[in-house]
Amino acid sequence: MNGRLGPSMEALAQAVAQRAVEIVVSALDVNALLDRVDLNAVLDQVDIGQVLDRIDLNGIVERIDVEALVEQTDLGAIIARSSSGVASDVLDVVRSQTVGLDEFIARWIARLRRRPYTGPPGPPDGLHARAGS
Amino acid sequence: MTARAGDATPSGPPIIVRESLQGKYSGFASRFAAFAVDVGVSLGVFMLALAAITFAARVLTGKNIAWNKGDPWVILAYAVWAFSYFAYSWAASGRTAGMALFGVRVVRDDGTDASGRQAVVRTLALPLSFLLLGLGFVGILLGDRRRALHDVIAGTAVIYSWDARAARLRFLSRG
Repeated sequence: MNGRLGPSMEALAQAVAQRAVEIVVSALDVNALLDRVDLNAVLDQVDIGQVLDRIDLNGIVERIDVEALVEQTDLGAIIARSSSGVASDVLDVVRSQTVGLDEFIARWIARLRRRPYTGPPGPPDGLHARAGS
Repeated sequence: MTARAGDATPSGPPIIVRESLQGKYSGFASRFAAFAVDVGVSLGVFMLALAAITFAARVLTGKNIAWNKGDPWVILAYAVWAFSYFAYSWAASGRTAGMALFGVRVVRDDGTDASGRQAVVRTLALPLSFLLLGLGFVGILLGDRRRALHDVIAGTAVIYSWDARAARLRFLSRG
């Protein structure tokens, strides 16, 4: 008899235990619990120096093949690209400012001549035809 | 209330945002700024050459050469150098260093590439625009095709070779 009741009692006990845990967890206010935990006090107890002493940083750095890493990174191309980008930006700004001045002068000349100004004239016919072909 | 004639510009963003400008006739400021840079570059290179000659002469002969800016030979040497600088640049690529910097280019008046003969004629006629009390440049301000006297004589024009709208998009994409 004991042999037949054993497994069913065990399953019943497990089900009861699971249900009890669910009830406890659902009743638990985690936020309130966290409010009561003094994290600063916990952190004060951690000796970071001791933790770092146990980490062999030199060993980690030695295991990194810096030369292979640099070889795989085309630093020259990156530097060239960023420099040419800056140069191109500067050039664009200089040209934009000068074109702005061109337009300012042209607008004032048009105003003095009492003529409408609709932007820079052109392009020449040959250029227009070439672009269209 | 009526709008003034000069106010008839299209409203909205500036022209360099709306249009590419490439191929349009270049304005006075761009041309003047490019010319100022070219004068600086040509003078700078000329002074460097004089300094190099002075140094070489001192090393080889032990004598110092004193250059007098008013010396006709120095003036002639500069004139020959400046002629070569402008004529060669316009013949080879249609642009000098200053023009490349400001994104403008010399072309034939129909928009095709300027020839070597036109480059030479343009260079020789350039001083004429100055000698007429600067009146040779009035065409850039008032002409429909913004041509100076030396452009009319050589059959050339100056256009923007720079795509303003692409530059703007490039700038925004990096933003």
